[in-house]
Formats: sequence, C-alpha cells, structure tokens
Amino acid sequence: MGELDGRVACVTGGTRGIGRAIAEALLREGASVVINGRSEEKGAKALEEIGAGDKAHFISADVKSREGCESIISGTVEKYGKIDILVANAGGASNHAPVAELTDEAMEDSLVWNFWHTFWTMRASLGHMIPQGWGRIIAVSSVEGKVGKPGLAIYVAAKHAINGLVKSSAQEVGTLGVTVNAVCPGLIETDIVKEVLPIAAESMGLESYEAALDLFAQESAIKRLNEVEDVAEVCVLLTSEAGAGITGSLISIDGGTAPY
Amino acid sequence: MGKLEGKVACITGGTRSIGRAMAETFVAEGAKVVVNGRDEEKGQKCIEEMDAGESVAFFAGDASEQSTVEGLVDFSLETFGQLDICCLNSGGVQMTAPVADMTDEEWKLEVDWNLNHVFWGMRKALNHMIPREYGRILVTSSVEGKLGKPGIPGYVATKHAVNGLVKVAAQEVGTLGITVNAILPGVVETDILRDTGPASAVAMGLDGYDALVELFTSDSAIKRPNTVEEVAAVALLLASDSGRNITGTLFPVDGGTMPY
Repeated sequence: MGELDGRVACVTGGTRGIGRAIAEALLREGASVVINGRSEEKGAKALEEIGAGDKAHFISADVKSREGCESIISGTVEKYGKIDILVANAGGASNHAPVAELTDEAMEDSLVWNFWHTFWTMRASLGHMIPQGWGRIIAVSSVEGKVGKPGLAIYVAAKHAINGLVKSSAQEVGTLGVTVNAVCPGLIETDIVKEVLPIAAESMGLESYEAALDLFAQESAIKRLNEVEDVAEVCVLLTSEAGAGITGSLISIDGGTAPY
Repeated sequence: MGKLEGKVACITGGTRSIGRAMAETFVAEGAKVVVNGRDEEKGQKCIEEMDAGESVAFFAGDASEQSTVEGLVDFSLETFGQLDICCLNSGGVQMTAPVADMTDEEWKLEVDWNLNHVFWGMRKALNHMIPREYGRILVTSSVEGKLGKPGIPGYVATKHAVNGLVKVAAQEVGTLGITVNAILPGVVETDILRDTGPASAVAMGLDGYDALVELFTSDSAIKRPNTVEEVAAVALLLASDSGRNITGTLFPVDGGTMPY
C-alpha cells in the first residue's frame, strides 16, 4: 500500500532533475502521474526510463504560455479522470544581469517561466480541487524565494512572488481540503542548473560555474549541494494524508541555508 | 524494511500525545525507542499499550531537571548501545501570567522545562553523535516560537529561544552527518493542553478551554487543530535518511498559521 494509492498527480518540468525525482517518488507511492516537458522526444525517453506503464503519462506543452499550462491540467483530467496533486516544478532563469542593466524581456521571461506558470497551473488545478474537496499543490520555489543574491534579480523576484502566491491561496482554500505549499531547495546540480548557472555566475561576478556551486554550498551548514531525492521525499509527505495539516508553508530543503 | 531500521531514538515527554505518536511511528519503522515521562505508572502503561516488546523502554523523570535529560541519553546508550535520534519534545505552558505579574520562580520553571531541557539534551546527545558522525536532533517547538500571545510569556520566549538554539547547533555540526531541526506545530489537542489549557485561557482573558482552541484554530488556514499524526510524520521524515540534507529548519505543522 502506497501513501498515494488512487491519487492523480501532475508534475510540470517532470522529465528531468527535481521534477523527475518527484514524479518517480509519487509513482512509487501509488499515484498516477502526468509528467510535462517541452520535448516529445525527451518525454518518451523519460517514460521509457521510468517504466511505469499506464501509470505515467507525458504531456508536451510549453509552460511559458497560459494555453500550455491549462492544457497540462486539462490533459491530466482527460487522461486519469481528475487531478489531486499539482507540482508546479518547471522553472529557471537564463538571462541574468544586475538590475541596472536588466531588460524588460529578461524579467518578463523569468516571471512567465517561474511565476505565471505557477499561477496558471495553480488556478486551473484549483478549479478541479475545490469542487472535489481534496487537493495538494506544491510550488517548487527555491532558497532564493527567501533570500536574495546580487545579479539574480529575475529569479529571486519570481521565486519570492511564488511564495507570496502560495501563502494567499493557502489561506483561501484552507478549509476546503486543499493545501498549498512551497518547497525551497538549496542549489541542486540538475541539468537545468548546468545549462543556466554559468550565465548566473557571470552576472554574479564569479569567475566560473564551479565558483558558483561552491558559493551556494559554502552558505549552507552541510557545505554541500542538495539532491533531488531530498525534495521528492518532502513532496511525498506534503501530498500524503499526514500532510493535510501543513499548508501555506515554505519548506526549506537547503542544508541550513535560509535564515528563516 | 522500515525507514529507521537499526536506529535508536529517545523522546522526552514520550508517553503521551505528540511524543507518543513519534515513538509509535519510529517503532513501526524499525527503530528502538526510549520514552521518558515523569510518572512511572503512565510509563508502564505506555509500554504496555505500545506492545513493541524489547523495542521500547521507559525512563522515568522530570524533563525540567538536568539529571533526567542527561540520564535519558545515558540510559538509551546502556539499553540499546547507541543513540541516533534525540527528540526533545517535552514542554508546555506551566505558568501563565502577564509579563508584569510573572515572578522569577515561575519564569525559571518555564525556562527549565522548555529551554534548558532542550539545551541539556542537545549537548549531551551531540557529544555522543559528533564522534560517530551521525545524528538527528528534533526539537518540538511551537508556532509560539515565531509568534506571541498575551499571558504566556514564558512559553513564547522559551520556544523562540529553542529555535535560535536549533539554528546555531545546525550550523556547528552541519558537516558531521548530524541534522538539528525544530518542528513547529500549531495547536494540537494533547493531554498536556487539556491539563494546562484552562489556566492559559484565563491568563489570556478567554472564556475557557474551548475558546482557547478556537482562538488558535481561527488563526490557521485550516480552521482546525493539528493532529499528533501530522507532527509524527514530519518527525519521521527528518529522522530518516531522506532528511539528511534538511537542517537548521523550523518546520511548520500549523495549518497555515505562521506568517513566515
């Protein structure tokens, strides 16, 4: 018996990294899981690697559009008949620059990718969860949703905004059997981090990708990076029955980095 | 395979309510557990009810005394040979009075029970855990570790203090395989709350125990008390291998009560 037998979950950005680990943990606990990503090819590969048969399903959509986000939620309901769990996990930021030099486009791209995607998928999911009187929404935020670093404003602002959204919506649906939480991981060396951290490092005035990894690790108490499994197990807790009493919280999974 | 196979835990205030739920959860996951409580008779009853054979032992003593807390750690080592998980869970509102009226003696009682007990237990446990480079320290704090209510200054101040202690210890031992975290439950209808709630209600200017519970739950998003099982599930996560990279956190189990 898994903790999530009979539940239906949807994980945006679920083919790799943190999202993939969350999807696999939810599957292990008995849920049916939709994973989303942009690339059909990567999606098919992920499904094959996961090997969960009809319990896992891939929906190709770009989370940087409202239509894309809404199609993920409606596609989940179409495939499995309902949605119990949303993990709004997709996100990142690639066009880092100090605020004085930031373009509107860079800020907008990060807000759409991180914040608007979370809002769009959350709103669409609540439309199903509120009537059924049960739901779990988890936004994958970041330690940067609680603190700030120079040169990372587009990411820090978007993640802070997600944390605010989580707090408000949690208050709205608290008596309706729906919880809304954010998980705030420290830095994890995922594929997306390998792609975008070099740009962030430059914006932060650091000499290399490795220097950025080291900076994040040294800020923590454990002096090492986090791992995707750390986040996945917290998601299992939050989505389980025992998670019913946890809402509106910003759970740090950062080896002792965030000050609160 | 349980998640705590081969681990040994001790729990102050473990015969009833939150501590008892932790003990039962840990035993179910394969741990051996020493529970502590003041009353020998209640302790024996607890052991009987838990029906876990050699996996559970009782250590009698008042957690607000240094000899009890340190004795509990020694007893755990003598009984089970090691100590992996130390839950400093005992505590409560013993003295209620506005700050202007609180006596030194009353203040000291609150500090010994809620703060010094945690310090004594943590120090003693760390001295065993640091050489072994493995350990989990869990402190049962409270939403009142972040907030404040009139009439219970000792409780609020000591819970704030243990949160600070947790943050410091987590930073000190972060690279040594030891995590130190606080769990911050909202109001839980425990035996201790039923014992002390009526006096707290009077001190807070409320009309009885029910009004007290109502006041706390109305602060939350879920508008109900939390449960001991919800707290125990978080304790299990933090105590297990999955919790290895979570440290220095103040983990809320409060149904959306605290603002941060």
